[in-house]
Amino acid sequence: MVYAVFAPLIFAILIPFLSRIKQRIHTGWLILPVPLLIFIYFLQFVGANFETKMQSTTWIPTLNISLDFYLDGLSLLFALLISGIGTLVVLYSIYYLNKEEQLGHFYTYLYIFMASMLGVVLSDNVFVLYTFWEFTSLSSFLLIGYWHHREKSRYGALKSMLITVLGGFSLLGGLILLTIETGTTSIREMVAMTDVIINSEYFIAILIFLLLGAFTKSAQFPFHIWLPDAMEAPTPVSAYLHSATMVKAGIYLMARFSPIFNEVPLFFILLSIFGLVTLAWASYMAVRQTDLKGILAFSTISQLGMIMAMLGFGTTYGVFAAVFHILNHATFKGSLFMVAGIVDHETGTRDIRRLGGLMTFMPISATLAVFGTFSMAGVPLPFLNGFYSKEMFFQSSLGLEGSGTFVEGLITAIPIIAVVGSIFTFIYSMYLFFGTFRGGYKEDQLPTKPHEAPIMMLVPPAILVLGVIVIGLFPNIFNNALITHSADAIYGDTVTKDIKYWHGLDSRAFQMSLAVVVLGVVLYLTKDKWSKIYSVLPGSLSLNRVYDWIVEKIESVSNKITTSYMTGSLRLYMMLILTAIILMTAGTLLYSGGMNFNTVDLAPITAQEVIVAIVMAIAAIGTTVARNRIAAILILGVVGYGLAILFVMYSAPDLALTQLIVETVTVVLFLLCFYHLPNLSSEGQSVAKTGSNILVSIGYGLLMFVIGISAYNSRFAETISSYFMENTYEEGGGHNAVNVILVDFRGIDTLFEVAVLFGAALGIYAMIKLRSNKGAK
Amino acid sequence: MEIIMIVLAAILFATGVYNILQKQLLRIVIGTVLISHGAHLFILTMGKLKRGAPPVEVYGVTEYADPLPQALILTSIVISFGVTSFLLVLAYRAYKLNQTDNMEKMRGSEHE
Amino acid sequence: MNNLAILPIILPILASVIVAFFPGKLNIVRPLSKIFMVVFLGVMLFITFKVYSDGMIVLQGGGWDAPFGISLVLDYLSIILVLTTYVIATAAVFYAPHSLSDQQEKFYFYTFFFLLISGVSGAFITGDLFNLFVFFEVLLMASYGLIVLGNGKAQLRESLKYVLINLFSSMLFVTTVAFIYSLVGTVNMAHIAERVDSIPAEDQGIVTVIGILLFFVFAVKAAIFPLYYWLPNSYVVPNPVVSALFGALLTKVGIYSIFRVFTLIFVHDTGVTHQLFIWLAMLTMIFGVIGALSTNNVKLIITYNIIPAIGFILMGIGLFNEDGLSGSIYYLMHDMVIKAALFLLIGALIVAAGTKDLSQMSGVIQRFPLLGWLFFIGSLVLAGIPPFSGFIGKLLLLRGALDQGEILLTVVALLSSLLILLSMIRIFIRGFWGEKMEGMTTNPSKVHALTIPATFLISISIYLGVGAETVLPYIDQISSYLLERTEYISSVLKG
Repeated sequence: MVYAVFAPLIFAILIPFLSRIKQRIHTGWLILPVPLLIFIYFLQFVGANFETKMQSTTWIPTLNISLDFYLDGLSLLFALLISGIGTLVVLYSIYYLNKEEQLGHFYTYLYIFMASMLGVVLSDNVFVLYTFWEFTSLSSFLLIGYWHHREKSRYGALKSMLITVLGGFSLLGGLILLTIETGTTSIREMVAMTDVIINSEYFIAILIFLLLGAFTKSAQFPFHIWLPDAMEAPTPVSAYLHSATMVKAGIYLMARFSPIFNEVPLFFILLSIFGLVTLAWASYMAVRQTDLKGILAFSTISQLGMIMAMLGFGTTYGVFAAVFHILNHATFKGSLFMVAGIVDHETGTRDIRRLGGLMTFMPISATLAVFGTFSMAGVPLPFLNGFYSKEMFFQSSLGLEGSGTFVEGLITAIPIIAVVGSIFTFIYSMYLFFGTFRGGYKEDQLPTKPHEAPIMMLVPPAILVLGVIVIGLFPNIFNNALITHSADAIYGDTVTKDIKYWHGLDSRAFQMSLAVVVLGVVLYLTKDKWSKIYSVLPGSLSLNRVYDWIVEKIESVSNKITTSYMTGSLRLYMMLILTAIILMTAGTLLYSGGMNFNTVDLAPITAQEVIVAIVMAIAAIGTTVARNRIAAILILGVVGYGLAILFVMYSAPDLALTQLIVETVTVVLFLLCFYHLPNLSSEGQSVAKTGSNILVSIGYGLLMFVIGISAYNSRFAETISSYFMENTYEEGGGHNAVNVILVDFRGIDTLFEVAVLFGAALGIYAMIKLRSNKGAK
Repeated sequence: MEIIMIVLAAILFATGVYNILQKQLLRIVIGTVLISHGAHLFILTMGKLKRGAPPVEVYGVTEYADPLPQALILTSIVISFGVTSFLLVLAYRAYKLNQTDNMEKMRGSEHE
Repeated sequence: MNNLAILPIILPILASVIVAFFPGKLNIVRPLSKIFMVVFLGVMLFITFKVYSDGMIVLQGGGWDAPFGISLVLDYLSIILVLTTYVIATAAVFYAPHSLSDQQEKFYFYTFFFLLISGVSGAFITGDLFNLFVFFEVLLMASYGLIVLGNGKAQLRESLKYVLINLFSSMLFVTTVAFIYSLVGTVNMAHIAERVDSIPAEDQGIVTVIGILLFFVFAVKAAIFPLYYWLPNSYVVPNPVVSALFGALLTKVGIYSIFRVFTLIFVHDTGVTHQLFIWLAMLTMIFGVIGALSTNNVKLIITYNIIPAIGFILMGIGLFNEDGLSGSIYYLMHDMVIKAALFLLIGALIVAAGTKDLSQMSGVIQRFPLLGWLFFIGSLVLAGIPPFSGFIGKLLLLRGALDQGEILLTVVALLSSLLILLSMIRIFIRGFWGEKMEGMTTNPSKVHALTIPATFLISISIYLGVGAETVLPYIDQISSYLLERTEYISSVLKG
């Protein structure tokens, strides 16, 4: 299994090289065997006596991430779909895409996707699953943007990425919570610990995180909006990712976790509501579309909603029907996408308003389409698999049980919504077929003259249609060999169901099917009369506008916020920084009670020091008001020299000396640099600004004062300095302790202090020198 | 005495900050110098004042001032000096190139 | 063997002085610098190996026992950050000649470059609070030198603001050291920690306040909300190679210092300090991504993306549990590499497209596919998509957060990741995709030369994700060692 997952990935890496070497052969042929072999490999597991299979490879054991691949009925079904439809899609794409296209890129993305999707359905480890999950989103992004010179492709790609990655991140949150609560990263072990999860205090959070992941990926209302725009991808991609496989990853996820959530009413409520709303809304919207692929996209969304709802029902019947429909949907929808691609390829347009009457030109395609659309519509014919699953859907929508007014109301509403949604499904299915292949042929509106597609291009959809028929005729063969195993895996218990064509006239489900057909026919025929409603209902409430609005606002609001404070003004920056420091530190000071004014151990006050201090304080204040630049600099000098005097008074002769020298040099430098600068003017700032400057300055000074006093008064230990005095001569070899500290005890400080000076000197030199060089030029 | 020194250091900080909040380059640079003076004074004060002779070992003297803060201040003074000199030249060059000594006019824009 | 600890800081200082002797002779300086860096990188690899096999190395400067001398501490944390620094620097030194003008190289680029590495490494390994200040000044001085290299109008203007704000915070740093000295009478970090431990709980208030003050000192350097205003413009104006060094190293030194101090010393009132960090981490993430989405200047987008990453790292410190700390360390390491890589890539992109303005670019990938794909992978790494390095850190951080029931924090972190991805993918979609633009460079070989060092860094990012198992156990070891605290304290003070 490991090889099955990684083979496409390895080929994905090799493809760019392959496509360069073999210019003459279409790259598709070279790599076609890969999915085919995977399909055959998985086919061997199909059978009545299926047994699960597990393979493990360690990866990051520290985080409990290991490549555990687990094959049960559910993953087998998906693996077969992924590899089987993958094979057909590759075959189809060989004729769909020209050799002039960038095939290397296309197949690389496609195979990355194939590997990731197989990884998603086979991983038992949640983080491995998540990794592959994100990669399906990314490969989908790249495939949608494959024709990236088109504006719409780029738009669709970004949209799909944003929405699916949003869901992905949410999924990650849910999975992490699950691992924390259960202490395991294995899905199977989680399922075994259902009690722990359901009783967890974070249960709601887990559920919402996971649902958001599943709903975005499987295009459930209101996150479905990315899927129609994803139709910008080449048609093989739409058939493969955006109908048969990737969009079912969310379904898969819900199915995987449903043994845990099955008994929880909230799970039932959310899944069935979202599923049915999606079903009804998307089928309603599908009728309005004019692009063939647009219709199919909305149709896919609505079918996904239907499957989601059935999983939500959580009954044996519902689960069974859901699994069955996953298979059926993949067959008929895959074939329809391929036919739509053929129509596009051969006529040059997918606009259904310009198509019509193609039956005579493309009889084979039309035949294939008949089966696809009628199966999708659920027309009650025994050789259409869509009918079976549709009827099972109705059956499962009946007879749900639950308590509480809300739940009971919901249970009553479910069958009604199901029928409404199905009526619209019927309408767009008919519209799709009759609009394209019947009716008047509009020669003048078609870019090219239509003719039947090359035979090899028809083979893949034909195989799928064959699937539709065979499943329809002999449902129980598939049932025993595959479907029941899947349903068992989801339900967590044995689910055996016979699939019957005929339930009898008095069967409610059959009556619902009939109602759908009758009402559907009536409404289809009168479509022109009532379709005005579309200009009213989604109208300006369209979710796409919401999305566009959000994306647009993210940029414009960000811009507004950022430019409001990133003005380039040093004063503003300093104000904000100082305010933050003052407020938060003062807050902490008050909160933690760190203030300490119990003065202890003070040196006596003498007049000389006080005078020096007062002079310094006056000088410092003087710098703020001085108008003359020379005067300001000299006043600053007074502060510096005052400090030197204080150093003398406080037994720090070395400091005093250094301070004197440094101060003198600094003053000279000041004078040199600022001699040519304009004189200081009155600042001319507004009163408010001056006021806030004063406030902040005083606030900062006050804060420092309070902390300084408190720190001085809170001594918890003796300083280490006595050691220096004791050892300065014996060990350090000098009498002056300060000097010994500098050159010996803390020699590293001094060494790097010199490095700073060295850097400063070079910097100054470079600044001056560079200028003169420039001047010379 | 320490309290007076702490007050003085706080005043140096406050005036320094006030200067930094002004527009003209010279005032801003002066502000930074005042703040470094304040910081040095703080270090000295925190090591206690007037507790003995200068920390130069002399026979018979037992009480010395704390040498460690002094060493730290010395290092800091030299570093501040280096940075201030650099800043001065930088300020001068920035003034020459931008043709203004008003920081509020040196805002710049996003695309340059 | 203890003397090994001085090598990370002394080797680059020597190199710095040596290359300063030949300012104009680029044909000597360039190969010399490359050789130096490669050799140094080898030495650091050896030391890392040594530390992990034989335990931490403590060098008591000048042979004086702690706390009287200066201790240089190569513990499990500092050595990997030193190593990461050298890895990035090696990539940068190979990038520089293609990115800088001869003029800029001649004006002591390499001298400042080595000085910067020395300062950064020193800040990582010093065990002394005041000495940390000195190393801060060394790296700041070097960064001042690097930022004015261009000597253009914008460079000078922005460096002026940068120098002023940093000078202010440096002086606050010195003052804070003074306060701490007053409380516990020592400046050796292990010794401070030991003495703070013995302060009774009811007197811890003032310690917490000074801790917060110190946090702000580092927060200004680390660019944490609401103190990062200096960062965007001063990182945008210099040459990409300088931006890469700044983005990868400077803010990280700030956040590392917070890390060190708030896992070693100020751990007695986590209800105040660490809770504050969690709030600030959220705000930092939010405002960072908002910044990244606000502009069309590609370099500014990357620059703003530095800020949310700091938020992620701070988040782990605030959580203060094993997963959180491991996550922070992993994220720190990962972010250093990927930020450097992205700045280098953006430099190449700007050369390729001939503009910084995203709205003027399109279709660059058609001529420079490697650049485009590296950028794409880089974006994924940054957004924390598995299996790349960003994911491992994010997973650990989120696990740490959810373990403490921090749902809001998790949601903010996840949404920021999404917006980070959006800000990066915008560049990919608008700049790389689309019709081939007019006015792309006429010198593609230059772009290729610029791409190679970035490839090296991106490969490391991929390795840190896929091969996480080779690194992760060590990181876990670090975080439990940090939470334990005693090993650090006793190793430093054992003398």
